[in-house]
Amino acid sequence: MKIKLIISLCLLFLIHSCTKKEFEGPSIEILYGDFELIEPLIITNKNPSFSNNEKVGFHCVFNKPTQWKISIIGLTTSAKREISGFSNLIDSNLIIWNGGPSQVPFFSEEFCAIELTFENEIDTLRDTISIISSKTYDNGVWVENFDDGLPENSLVYYNNDGGGMTFYIENDEPLLGDSYFKMGGRVNWDWSLGNLDIPMEMNNVSLSSENLYINLGILSDLQDLHTGQFINILISEETNTPFNDNPNNNSSDLFESTMEVYKMKVPVDWDGWQIKSFRYTDFEPITPNDPDINFNMNPSDIRAIRISCQACPSSDGNPICPENFGKDVRTDIDHIMFTTNSNIFEQ
Amino acid sequence: MKRNLLLLKTIFGILFSDFSLYSQTNENIWFDGFSRTYFARDAININAIDDTISARNISNGYSLLDLNTHVNPIKDIEIFTQLRLKNSFGSFFGSGTEVSVRQLRAKGIINNKIRFSVGDLFLKQSKFTLYNYDEELVSYENDLINPYKDIIHYENFYNENRWRLQGLQADFSYEFDRYIRGLDFDFFVTRPRGSRQINETTYSSDILLSGGSIISQINKQLILSGNYINLFEPGASGTKNISIRNPVHDISLLYSFDKEKYHIQQKLQTGISKRFWLHSELENEVSDSTSSRTQGMYFELDNKYSKKDSTLSLSLGYRYVDPNFRSAGAQTRRLDYNNINSIYPTYTNMSLIRPPSIFDLLSDYKWYNQDLSSILMTFNPTYSNVLPYGDATPNRSGIYINARTNNINKQFIAKINAGFFKEVIGQGTVNKRNFSLFKGSLKVNFDRLLNWKKELNLYVSSKSEISRRKGEDISSINLFSNHINVSANAEIAKKFFIQSSYQLFNSNGNEFLTQRDNYGNITYFTKTQIDQKEHVLSMGMLYKFRKKVYANLNYNWWGMKFSEVDYENYKYNRLVLILSVEL
Repeated sequence: MKIKLIISLCLLFLIHSCTKKEFEGPSIEILYGDFELIEPLIITNKNPSFSNNEKVGFHCVFNKPTQWKISIIGLTTSAKREISGFSNLIDSNLIIWNGGPSQVPFFSEEFCAIELTFENEIDTLRDTISIISSKTYDNGVWVENFDDGLPENSLVYYNNDGGGMTFYIENDEPLLGDSYFKMGGRVNWDWSLGNLDIPMEMNNVSLSSENLYINLGILSDLQDLHTGQFINILISEETNTPFNDNPNNNSSDLFESTMEVYKMKVPVDWDGWQIKSFRYTDFEPITPNDPDINFNMNPSDIRAIRISCQACPSSDGNPICPENFGKDVRTDIDHIMFTTNSNIFEQ
Repeated sequence: MKRNLLLLKTIFGILFSDFSLYSQTNENIWFDGFSRTYFARDAININAIDDTISARNISNGYSLLDLNTHVNPIKDIEIFTQLRLKNSFGSFFGSGTEVSVRQLRAKGIINNKIRFSVGDLFLKQSKFTLYNYDEELVSYENDLINPYKDIIHYENFYNENRWRLQGLQADFSYEFDRYIRGLDFDFFVTRPRGSRQINETTYSSDILLSGGSIISQINKQLILSGNYINLFEPGASGTKNISIRNPVHDISLLYSFDKEKYHIQQKLQTGISKRFWLHSELENEVSDSTSSRTQGMYFELDNKYSKKDSTLSLSLGYRYVDPNFRSAGAQTRRLDYNNINSIYPTYTNMSLIRPPSIFDLLSDYKWYNQDLSSILMTFNPTYSNVLPYGDATPNRSGIYINARTNNINKQFIAKINAGFFKEVIGQGTVNKRNFSLFKGSLKVNFDRLLNWKKELNLYVSSKSEISRRKGEDISSINLFSNHINVSANAEIAKKFFIQSSYQLFNSNGNEFLTQRDNYGNITYFTKTQIDQKEHVLSMGMLYKFRKKVYANLNYNWWGMKFSEVDYENYKYNRLVLILSVEL
């Protein structure tokens, strides 16, 4: 009995000497109490030269985990970038800006207003930075910017019976640089308006399909918008057939249904330029049930890309979208960029 | 494909052989198994929910056969395999048909001295090292819910509070003629999770669980036992250089003695745990280091009194579990709130995620977990706030009392469980939560009382949990929940029963939900206001062909009512048919 008593007393002693902390986790009184700023907003680089790969880091400390948002607005271009998070620390080693916007327009050499806001709090911290040189976007693993005209060996096909067909290089309002490729017109009786086929070589690129991103600038307008218009991006990994096997059809021969071809459909329903980014693995095989094709998605096998302009037909003979009868399609494109590990805005 | 062919060959081999399913036809090979047919039709009560986008009713079901083959190639070895054939209703020509190996194990005895098992193992140690605690809400006797409980336990391999693991186990024992009477040893190595591909170039490590037990019968009255268990990741099995280590040691002393009319057992047990993450093989020849290191202990003193005529048993004890006591084998929960409802996962015209009700948790086996978790899993304080991780719940100290009594003829059976616990340290504040737990049940066997040959019984139970924390208004807590269960069974013809039951769950008050990071550290407390009422009304019939062979048809009206505007109320109905046959 004595032994058990001694053991019990020893254990009770251990119990009361084991835990030293006052409480576990963050303080509820702070979490649900008043918001306080502990360290002010610090910007690590107020004159960034993004073309030289400089970055801007943000630092701030407050007393409780809070939903915060940093807004960066270009005072000349109105370009905008937002970075948000939930924490009580904005760490300048982790929260960095590389000069890209969240969507077009892009930042140029300009002053930018920085604003740090907190959800459900009235506090707002403000500062400015001056961009010495803006970020460049021609450093992907494969880029076509149309500034030198149509890409070499590329093929343009469009329906000759359509009206106002615009399948050519234009330079009035490019996304970036000097030129862009105009794609549009009116084919009320059929889906397909035309397409641009560009040969590609990515033999030297060694990366997985998970890490490859396809970015594409697309221009449309809300003026008399054709509601059924879209772009199909097709990527071919056919390696046994020449790009232009049949020189009489104005199209590449690498996009047949018997070949390893992947597709992404992009509905186009906005005003102005937007850049759309897709991970390569989000593309779908065009004939997934064909047992003779090995859809193994290997970026180094990519041989060609097709940008196809399509729209829902509206004529009497094929009135699927009658509301679009007589409307022009507009799906202009610029800067086709293949990037690694992240989309163009995160580069 | 090859595996499927092999399985088909095996199945055809079995079906077209001369063996009969549930009889031993050959001393080297024998069979048993289990079969279930399940059909459920769920319907929305459209008067209670504004939901025109969900189907008005949904039906689904399946038939399955788990065929157990026991092969004894030699006297001391048995190979056991469980093959599952499952066919979902509406499947044709093989689509929706599942053929799988559900269990595979070899066991035997080496030289009449060492017993071993390889393959699927069902392991249990002490309640603080390796123990699969019962899920919340199931400690009720309710014959209308029991078929669901059987499915949940069977599908998730919940067998006598053991965890199903895959690996190697060996045990052996010694007997002595002086100093001590006997010494039993048990060791195992298992792999709860294999290496997994996270992305193209990153693989997680294997998780291994190893352990051992030594039990020593010192004399007729005294048993000393010790357990060791370690959950760890061998870094070389993956590409990540961070790996967990969670060793737990415990020791217990069991003292028991008999008198003419009663038996007394006293158990003293204590243990210590460590948990940390090892950073190894770092770049630039940086030496190994550890992070998120915690160390904790537990202590329990349990006293049990039981009358030899089995009319009364009473246990009273004190338990302390340190806030930093971490034991993956004992603190992993069955109920995993990361899942979603199988029936009507969304509701209302806004397609809201439907919050689970007690009916979902009692009837859907997909809510339950089979994998050990290296960090504390989330729990719902509405249903279990006092001991969400069973007796091994960290940061608790307090007393408990469990009593069971019945008269000699078992006309009345009553149980009372109560516990009064307090946090060892506060969470988010220096003030500590106080917890009270009360469970009571009474079963009246009218057939025994009135000397009827056919069964007639009534079961009533109630469970209440109270959680309180005083202090500043901003951090104070007051949460009350109560679960009432009434069920009745009447045998109106031989082996044929009419059943009814009603369950009412009520919870209101406020709590803070704890959020933890990947290393188990508390990162945030989410304030939550709770005010909900749930009901399950069931009527049905049961035909018991024999023990563990039954057909059950019942209808359930169930729903949930919230006072908070965050959620919409709902009501559903279900018709279910279960034919369960143990071969």
